[in-house]
Amino acid sequence: MRRILIEADKCKGCKNCSVACMKAHVPEGTVFSLSDPQFESRNTILLDSEEKCRPLFCRHCDKPACVNSCMSGALVKNPDGHVLYDRDKCAQCFMCVMNCPFGVLKPDRATGTYVVKCDFCALHGGEPSCVKNCPTEAIYVKEVE
Amino acid sequence: MMTKRFSCSTCQSADKPLGQFIADLPIETSFHRVEAQEVKCEFGLEGVCCRLCANGPCRITPDSPRGICGADADTMVTRNFLRAVSAGSGCYIHIVENTAWNLKNTALAKGTLKGRNALERLCDMFEVTGADVYEKAVNVAEAVLADLYKPAFERMELTKKLAYAPRYRRWEELGILPGGAKSEVFSGTVKSSTNLNSDPVDMLLHCLRLGISTGLYGLTLTNLLNDVMLGEPEIRLAPVGFRVIDPDYINIMITGHQHSMITALQDRLIEADVIQKAKAVGAKGFKLVGCTCVGQDLQLRGAHYTEIFDGHGGNNFTSEAILATGAIDAVLTDFNCTLPGIEPICDGLQIKQICLDSVAKKANAELIDFSFDVRTAATERILDDIIAAYVARRGEVPLNLLPEHGNDNTLTGLSEGSLKAFLGDTWQPLIDLIAGGQIKGLAAVVGCSNLVSGGHDVLTVELTKELIAKDILVLSAGCSSGGLENCGLMSPDAAELAGPKLKAICQQLGIPPVLNFGPCLAIGRLEIVATEIAAALGVDLPQLPLVLSAPQWLEEQALADGAFGLALGLPLHLGLPPFVTGSPIAVQVLCEDMKTLTGGHVLINGDAIESAILLEDIILQKRKALGLS
Repeated sequence: MRRILIEADKCKGCKNCSVACMKAHVPEGTVFSLSDPQFESRNTILLDSEEKCRPLFCRHCDKPACVNSCMSGALVKNPDGHVLYDRDKCAQCFMCVMNCPFGVLKPDRATGTYVVKCDFCALHGGEPSCVKNCPTEAIYVKEVE
Repeated sequence: MMTKRFSCSTCQSADKPLGQFIADLPIETSFHRVEAQEVKCEFGLEGVCCRLCANGPCRITPDSPRGICGADADTMVTRNFLRAVSAGSGCYIHIVENTAWNLKNTALAKGTLKGRNALERLCDMFEVTGADVYEKAVNVAEAVLADLYKPAFERMELTKKLAYAPRYRRWEELGILPGGAKSEVFSGTVKSSTNLNSDPVDMLLHCLRLGISTGLYGLTLTNLLNDVMLGEPEIRLAPVGFRVIDPDYINIMITGHQHSMITALQDRLIEADVIQKAKAVGAKGFKLVGCTCVGQDLQLRGAHYTEIFDGHGGNNFTSEAILATGAIDAVLTDFNCTLPGIEPICDGLQIKQICLDSVAKKANAELIDFSFDVRTAATERILDDIIAAYVARRGEVPLNLLPEHGNDNTLTGLSEGSLKAFLGDTWQPLIDLIAGGQIKGLAAVVGCSNLVSGGHDVLTVELTKELIAKDILVLSAGCSSGGLENCGLMSPDAAELAGPKLKAICQQLGIPPVLNFGPCLAIGRLEIVATEIAAALGVDLPQLPLVLSAPQWLEEQALADGAFGLALGLPLHLGLPPFVTGSPIAVQVLCEDMKTLTGGHVLINGDAIESAILLEDIILQKRKALGLS
């Protein structure tokens, strides 16, 4: 499967990945704004204990805890390896949020009624926008076993 | 009353009671926003992001060492840096320009000039005279204005009269004597625009030129002109902190840097009919609550304003908390540092916001024309607005006071004049103490507070404690003073924190080991102190056992101040780098080559203990070179 890999030492904390993610997920008919809480990034950058940047992205895990804890079938691991989310099937129990070992999944900020989840930019040819917009190649896509 | 916290994540504060007060607030302040802005863009931090043209933003990485236009990291960094220093210089030149106009207009109207000695001193310095004090004051003001308005190719005439002769000679050799101060800001802006100057060294030298005009005019002269109008500082003990807020009065918090602008209003507030107006709505009268540098300036001259001014509340990042006490009825702004963060607080607590200068127009404040010829009428309107705010909000808005905050015995009123007078009209006692080693050296700890150098005032306070423990006497000017005084380091009791030799001196004289010169403008006063000591010793400034530190510099003005410090040839310590580390040339010039240019250099260290050791080493080296043990 294809996975986003991270070289944290290369991250400059510019947040281009976060902005790219937000813009890649603007619903049709809406105008993007950086100050509108409805636009959320599926990735984030945190600082570790040494104040170094630690970019966090959905790992599309081999054994996804989010999928295992999803009782409604909203989260499934596709044959190509990516974990996808179907908002219409979601029962809003948020057990996936509780179980994600990376703390990446979250309820949406504006309404708290669905899960904000990386879709590997399925609507953009499956090429992650975050990766395309990283100026230092701190994140890249690689085919892994 | 106020029970629900806004959030549980606030940044650290050297002033612990303030930190706790803010942590408990039900409203958002700058302290609350630090965490969400924790991840910083490294390109911005290093100064290698350029958005001067439509091709941008271009950023420097190992794979893209030049922007689309071809600008490399050195060009990008120094261009950005020059832009910042130009803007900072513009701020201070705006202040001295208005101050000179206020002096001229006051004199033409035969208004109050409280500092006759200060006027005579300026007349001597400028070699101007006049038939009476008013004509003298007009001539002094016009000499300053004439210089400020000169073109860039014409040198300002007062520079030579203001500057220490050995420094002036060095500046002349380096070709950095400034033309008209406003024109130099203009040139800095043009040089740093798209596809113009790309020479990093030329742009850094322009920063030094701006440093000279900023320092001698924006800083030094603003103080001296204000001394003529507002009265010279007198040493005294005064209260500081939130305890100065008395809810029985109609309270006006002042923010800004242009003290001469608000004096008409300030004087009117204590006239009988105005006090009567206040009493008619249930208040005892009016009080000004000091905040930021205009408050520091008022505190410095507090001996002349005991009736209207109880004391200084706090510095830049204390302003939101002062408003959150609920006891402030209006904010009167003449300049920065007026945080945008006060706006929602003012809205929520029904505090009237008034701006007197369009450069500091806040989004939801009323801008009132307060130019000299209309300010009498404007004063009445402002008074009525503030009284209306008081009537509307008191009783409605809950009070959340902190009367135990701060202290009652901060030593204030220090200036080049009052300190010298205190020493017996000569610097010799101080020189003897330095020569004898009782005082190892002097450290000017100046500048702002920021919230990212360990937290609010954290590095400033910790570094100062380390320095005084090493028997280094600290002088402070700027928001650094606000933090240091609220933390008690400017009270005589703070002698306990000093090293044994400095402690003994402080206890003998009844002074604290950290001397409060007031606003950032008074960095100009510190320059006079240093210059007069150097002159008494017959040495140049870089030879003195004197270091400069802006541990928590915040803004562009601080960078222009820093350029002044470097032009003076002083070692300049900063807690955080000024967005230049992406350029090897900028780092080399600022940290090393500057030593051969002006004698100064930049050193960067964010750790209080390490920084104090570095600064002490420099002082010891300078002592050795002077033949002192």
